[in-house]
Amino acid sequence: MVTDIVIGMAGSGGDGIVSAGDSLVSAAAREGFHAVMTKSFGPQIRGGESSCRVRLSTERLHNPGGALDVAVALNWDDFLKFGAELKVDGHTIVVYDSKTGIAPDKLPLVGVMPAEVFSVPLTDLTKSSAGTEKAKTSVVLGLLSGWIGLSREVLLAGLKRKFGKKGEELLAANERAFEAGFTYAAEHPMKKPLLMQQPLTKGMGKLLTDGNDITAAAALFSGCQFFGGYPITPSTEVMQLLGREIWKYGGAMVQAEDEIAGIGMTVGASFAGKKAMTATSGPGMDLKTEVLGLASIAELPLVLLNVMRGGPSTGLPTKPEQSDLFQACFSAHGDVLRPVLAPTCVADSFDVTVEAFNLAEHYQTPVIILSDQEIAQRKETVDPIDASKYTVLERRKPTESELQKYARFAPTETGISPISNPGMQGGAYLASGIEHNELGAPSASGAVHSRMNEKRFRKFATLHQRRDLVRVEGDPEAPLALIAWGSIAGVCREALGKAKAEGLPVKLLVPTLVYPFVEDVWREFLMSVKAGLVVEQSYQGQLYRMMRMFLDVPPGISSFARSGANPFQPVEVLARLKELSFSLQGRVSETQRRDA
Amino acid sequence: MATKGIDFAKLNLRDALDLAVLIEEEARDRYEELAEQLEVHHTPAAAVFFRKMVRVEEIHRSELEKRREQLFGKSPVMVSRAAIFDIEAPEYDVVRASMTPFEALEAAMKSEVKAHDFFAAVVPRVSDPEVKKLFEELRLEEVEHQQWLKVEMQKTPAVKDVPGDQSDGPNEQ
Amino acid sequence: MTTLSPNVFKSELKPIWCPGCGDYGVVQALYRALSAIGRPPHEVAFISGIGCSSRIPGYSTAYGFNTVHGRALPVAQGVKMANPDLLVLVAGGDGDGFSIGGGHVPHAIRRNMDLTYLVMDNQVYGLTKGQLSPTSPRGLETVTSVYGSFEQPINPLLTVLSAGAGFVAQGTPADMPGLATLVEEAIRYPGFAFINVQSPCVTYGEDDQQLRAHKTRMKSLDSVGHDPSNFMQALEKSTQYGTELYTGVFYRNPNPPKSYDVLVRERQETLKPAAVPRERMLDMFLQK
Ligand SMILES: Cc1ncc(C[n+]2csc(CCOP(=O)(O)OP(=O)(O)O)c2C)c(N)n1
Ligand code: SF4
Repeated sequence: MVTDIVIGMAGSGGDGIVSAGDSLVSAAAREGFHAVMTKSFGPQIRGGESSCRVRLSTERLHNPGGALDVAVALNWDDFLKFGAELKVDGHTIVVYDSKTGIAPDKLPLVGVMPAEVFSVPLTDLTKSSAGTEKAKTSVVLGLLSGWIGLSREVLLAGLKRKFGKKGEELLAANERAFEAGFTYAAEHPMKKPLLMQQPLTKGMGKLLTDGNDITAAAALFSGCQFFGGYPITPSTEVMQLLGREIWKYGGAMVQAEDEIAGIGMTVGASFAGKKAMTATSGPGMDLKTEVLGLASIAELPLVLLNVMRGGPSTGLPTKPEQSDLFQACFSAHGDVLRPVLAPTCVADSFDVTVEAFNLAEHYQTPVIILSDQEIAQRKETVDPIDASKYTVLERRKPTESELQKYARFAPTETGISPISNPGMQGGAYLASGIEHNELGAPSASGAVHSRMNEKRFRKFATLHQRRDLVRVEGDPEAPLALIAWGSIAGVCREALGKAKAEGLPVKLLVPTLVYPFVEDVWREFLMSVKAGLVVEQSYQGQLYRMMRMFLDVPPGISSFARSGANPFQPVEVLARLKELSFSLQGRVSETQRRDA
Repeated sequence: MATKGIDFAKLNLRDALDLAVLIEEEARDRYEELAEQLEVHHTPAAAVFFRKMVRVEEIHRSELEKRREQLFGKSPVMVSRAAIFDIEAPEYDVVRASMTPFEALEAAMKSEVKAHDFFAAVVPRVSDPEVKKLFEELRLEEVEHQQWLKVEMQKTPAVKDVPGDQSDGPNEQ
Repeated sequence: MTTLSPNVFKSELKPIWCPGCGDYGVVQALYRALSAIGRPPHEVAFISGIGCSSRIPGYSTAYGFNTVHGRALPVAQGVKMANPDLLVLVAGGDGDGFSIGGGHVPHAIRRNMDLTYLVMDNQVYGLTKGQLSPTSPRGLETVTSVYGSFEQPINPLLTVLSAGAGFVAQGTPADMPGLATLVEEAIRYPGFAFINVQSPCVTYGEDDQQLRAHKTRMKSLDSVGHDPSNFMQALEKSTQYGTELYTGVFYRNPNPPKSYDVLVRERQETLKPAAVPRERMLDMFLQK
């Protein structure tokens, strides 16, 4: 019995591979498994190669996993195009269509000897059972159901939901195809069976969603009543969901003419007193920069989600990357500080979004959420929320007496001034991108400018103390360290588990608030560190460089970074850790020898 | 210089007085606006003169208002500021940054001439003899004002500001 | 609604415009129009971009937002959608509206929110000191078109008419009371209303674009028997932008469609019953 399994499948778009993945993950969620599904496509709009990875587990999952346990290739050309995204190694069981004409001992997998290979007459099975070639993935679902023990009934019920509406005949054909696969699996057992252990929460349906959808839901949970944005992969689902739901909560979603208008409207809605949000990806971020600065100087709350993809320019629109960190923190002229938060998985996107709205409203500032394509578009099981665990903050409105002689940018002790909105009697003021004094009157005075700058930075004093926004795991005294943010944190969390199991003294730091640094936590963390890795999915290793800008970084810490589309595997992080540990021991014994 | 919706042939004394009050009020307000513009733009001497005009026009206005009240009490005013524009008020474009006091006087003179011409033009259209008398009186007052301004102008050096002569160009942002 | 004194709308900030700038008359017209409308200042949101003209919200006691260059319309639309009860005014220069912000104009019109947009058209860049503007006449010599410009000017009236604006007018502070009436009418129009205000720049503008010239050139559309409900006539009259200085309403849609903000309201009302309690927000993802 196994508790964790990673299945990767590839074919051409017409095969419906991703749709089969959806069926699999949805069935798993219904069964009470934890599940993660990612998908990846070729550049064609429709009908190109497509693939998905589904990881099922009885335990909570942090990432989509490493090398595949089961690889399904409907077609080898398509499968191979995904390279490291569908990594096959010595433990993988390979299933492929014998119609490809490739002999089981001549697989086009250079230097890899899979654990077992099944050349299944997929096309023939489909034709003979369904009477058409079009139900191949239903045969695959039957095979997987049989081999890994995922409930036949639940999967069949899924097929019914999927095809029921499209006609009796189609449904029946797919059901027959499924049964054919199921029977084939029973007749051809694996040498080393891969049957899943049943989950403890068996039968208790789980929530299944992705990072974009849950972010949108979290926005609604936080009371967001306005979204203005422009479609861009991979962030568009946020506006799509809000466009369906936000009206129910007295809000509005508008598809703007461009990203500038999108954030412009968002700032306008915030000025009008509503919690407001916009979402985009790289190229859209570039366009939003100027208005982002406006929100900072006018001290207007807003949440901006950037679902990172490979860049610069159009870059890699459908692949994740962590290369927008510098931009999120620093793209602005003038002195600006704005909080940057990063979720590490789908479930975390909920918490991070609620936090983002809270920070925005509390500090009257734009807040950036840096998600990435993987988190945003991967399907993942999440637990229901306990609403009582969350506080939802509102902006500080002026009191009656403050409205008697209202100063919008009043120099309070905290630097946070009461904020009125149109409609509020006595609260009228001029919001502006031009420097202004405490009353909001435009000013060209250097003295006013430095005074207001000081206020705008001072108001973040308590943010720098938010220890809860940096997560530290593992032995606090460990000399080995992993540092990661965003989706890569999930990979490192798993690597940490593996390292601990092997007895390595490792700890992990994951900032939810990536910027500004909660310096105390970082300093304490770095104190015991002799060697470590900052693992990032970008060419430059942007967090590593920012650490060197803001912190005293021990010399043993190095950057482990590479650009997107080539995902990190927990095992390779582990391997690097082992190397570090090894050299550390070498160094330690060296000093001991010298001391002696 | 324009009026809108006023039928001078049918104008009665009460409305004529109210109209006169509004004409002075408009002039007063405009001098005030222009004085403010000049103050913000470091043209104090011209501004001081415009402030003086504010007071002068206010005196005229309140005298007329008093007369109206003596004759007609506080009965509602039937003419509105929307009915007049630029009658005795100097036009918006007479001011310039660093204009000289002499130029300010010239601007005021132009306004008085304008007002005089207005009354001269409407008197023949009026049928109510009392209104005719009032407007004629006001026309003559404008002549007096012109004389006063002429004297002031003789006392003031006839210097004009030549743009770009010594002043800095406008600031940019 | 009772009317309020125009002074209620005048703020304590003193305009920084050059003495004699056309914008002084525009702000006066605005005070008058707002006073006639009678909504208290705190129910008015006045949004602008950047430029000399865009300073205007600061001079009113309404809620103002002096945003960034060219983005007044998007911000204003956000304000209106967030709170349709507000009276939302938008203002800016010809550069702000038809150059850097030009891309937003047709879309704001397409959405048709109940906004009033005043472009203070001085055919030149004021704030940055006299460069070519999108409405500068062809051949104009400026500091950035030293030998005369090659570009043909944008016709703001034709642009907004062809984009489908329901209310299109033109005024000048040379007839300030007339301008005030136009602004008032524009505010009363239940949809996107546009006024091209020919507001002279005394510092960089051409002589034939000054108030004095306006006074002799301006011609009211009424006086030439124009029918503002006739779209084709409006198009024809608006083609004379740059040659004739028409004032008044070029076009007023006689059957205004429901504005966007009204539709937003309606949709919110219809869908409200489908709301789930906050704590059950994730139910939509449940796989039962
Ligand atoms: C993004 C950006 N680019 C350029 C500027 C500089 N700038 C400020 S106002 C302006 C043009 C002003 O002309 P217009 O919009 O016609 O207004 P006016 O000053 O004439 O009233 C320019 C180019 C700016 N503020 N922001
Ligand atoms: S530069 Fe021109 S537009 Fe700007 S304030 Fe001066 S006169 Fe007005």
